[in-house]
Amino acid sequence: MIPTTVVVLLALLALSVPVAVAVGALGLVLDQLYSPLPLSRALGEVTWSASTDFLLVAIPLFILLGEILLRSGIAERMYAAMVQWLSWLPGGLMHSNIAASALFSSISGSSVATAATIGTVAVGEIDKRGYNERFFLGTLAAGGTLGILIPPSINMIVYGVLTQTSIPQLYLAGIVPGVVLAALFMLTVLIGCLIRPRWGGRRVQTTWSSRIAALPDLIPPLLIFVVVIGSIYAGLATATESAALGVLAALAVAGARRRLTWPVLREIVEGTMKTTGMIMAILVGAYFLNFVMISIGLARTVSDTITHLGWSPAQTLVAVIAFYVVLGMFMETLSMMVATIPIVTPIMVGMGYDPVWFGVLIILLIETALITPPVGLNLYVVQGVRPRGPIADVIIGATPFVVTLFAMIALLSVFPALALWIPRSAMR
Amino acid sequence: MTRSDRDPLLRVARAVSHAGVWLSGALLVGAAGLVGVDVVLRRFFDMSVGGADEISGYVLAIGSAWAFGYCLLDRGHIRIDSIYVRLPARARSVLDVTAVFVFTAFMAFVTWHAWGVLDQSWSVGARSISPLATPLVIPQAVWLVGLLSVLFAGVALLARAVPALARGRDAEVGRLVGYRTLSEELETELEREQRLRGEPRR
Repeated sequence: MIPTTVVVLLALLALSVPVAVAVGALGLVLDQLYSPLPLSRALGEVTWSASTDFLLVAIPLFILLGEILLRSGIAERMYAAMVQWLSWLPGGLMHSNIAASALFSSISGSSVATAATIGTVAVGEIDKRGYNERFFLGTLAAGGTLGILIPPSINMIVYGVLTQTSIPQLYLAGIVPGVVLAALFMLTVLIGCLIRPRWGGRRVQTTWSSRIAALPDLIPPLLIFVVVIGSIYAGLATATESAALGVLAALAVAGARRRLTWPVLREIVEGTMKTTGMIMAILVGAYFLNFVMISIGLARTVSDTITHLGWSPAQTLVAVIAFYVVLGMFMETLSMMVATIPIVTPIMVGMGYDPVWFGVLIILLIETALITPPVGLNLYVVQGVRPRGPIADVIIGATPFVVTLFAMIALLSVFPALALWIPRSAMR
Repeated sequence: MTRSDRDPLLRVARAVSHAGVWLSGALLVGAAGLVGVDVVLRRFFDMSVGGADEISGYVLAIGSAWAFGYCLLDRGHIRIDSIYVRLPARARSVLDVTAVFVFTAFMAFVTWHAWGVLDQSWSVGARSISPLATPLVIPQAVWLVGLLSVLFAGVALLARAVPALARGRDAEVGRLVGYRTLSEELETELEREQRLRGEPRR
């Protein structure tokens, strides 16, 4: 059963069949082969109940929120403010790249959107100030990955929905690791520039008055962060409700700046719906596949097989991390999540790991996947926003940050409290 | 303008899809407003709009259905291209057409079973288990129309892509149903940005 499943899935994906259909069709194949009752009759019912799930409403809402911020110029001003405040450090703008990414991550749920937004704004500075191009591009690709770790996070919603884990708790659990990881990224820049001072580029001249003057540009993102995460932390809102509040806040900010013209609204709606269609199609396929896998006992077969290996929880954890690092090099991340998480998570939870902590670990592994070649979406996004040069520059520049991510994964494995401290204190 | 922009069949498919996506987008913004207001009223004034969660669920189902077709016409559905990009144009065209065919066939299957869901709700007069007691046939019928629009989009694309494939016009197949490579994607994105920047800023 297991080899058949893996072979069919890989064959469909290799033929570049859309992932949504590959996953759904795998469900139909497994149903034909292994189910005594025709499960495909439930396809309509499963699709309806999946696509009316209130939890999933959070996904288009967070996409909408990101689109509004992207198209209303909030990100650009935020970056400029970060430049004022952080460019004195050795490594200059590279710190601003990471801090601006972290801040943008706290209002956007997507790593690709974060890398594309900050990348577009920042990439012109490389030549202007004589930075080491590779290292600079690496900070953009790596900083972008924070998008899914620092709440809100679309990938955390996907994890929460697939594993029935509380999304508010996942969000709260992402905050400390997100901040620590951003700090580690900046430390990586610092170390790089202390070893090779020439990588650091020329200093941006600023004055205290221009720093103070830039502060108001940080208010909109902070306001939205407080609305979205504050309402969750205070227990006022669920993930979907906080997303709705965030959308209203973002509309208010963009409206106050008179950026909500009809052409902008059109771009916002079209961008939102396109991404929603892409993600929801995959999720609907994944729901059906999960339904089939559970009905035919595949999930249990896999977990029995793993249990029979007789590995300790720690050995299993190392194996799971290695599995995701390798798979992440070759697979697109959303597809990887829907294909593996429903099977892997129950095994890990069965061994005593906390599902919220494991969710954060998975997000870190997904971030690693985003910047490891040959298939690393953020590498391509950053490559896409620069005017010229080979992709190898971005890949090489991101490598130090892959090492940083490994360090963070190790840190989180040794100190689970990094993730669990805030959700536990909010529960009390 | 490329040839596919002038094609009447594809223009109709795109226009239908745009209209649906626009309406869904408006509904989504409306749902955000409803849910947001509901939270505030519930937490601070102990009142409730009632049924905000249920209605936004229907909006998601309807919007997703329309978005599937929009995404298909825009060549936006995720495909794994590790092998794809290493193949010659001819083989890629075959995979492109296959991908749309399989997608449309699967959606036809989903639509068929969605019809079953609607039929069932109709025959038993099913209502949602909630204070709204919505007759489920209403949202389900709109949902079904959305799914039918996906089939329309798929069939329209196939009607143009299959002949192009048969005549060996790989470039045309690529424009119609080829996988959007990321660089192409970013180009459109940057164009959009520039178009917006062209707008008078205030």
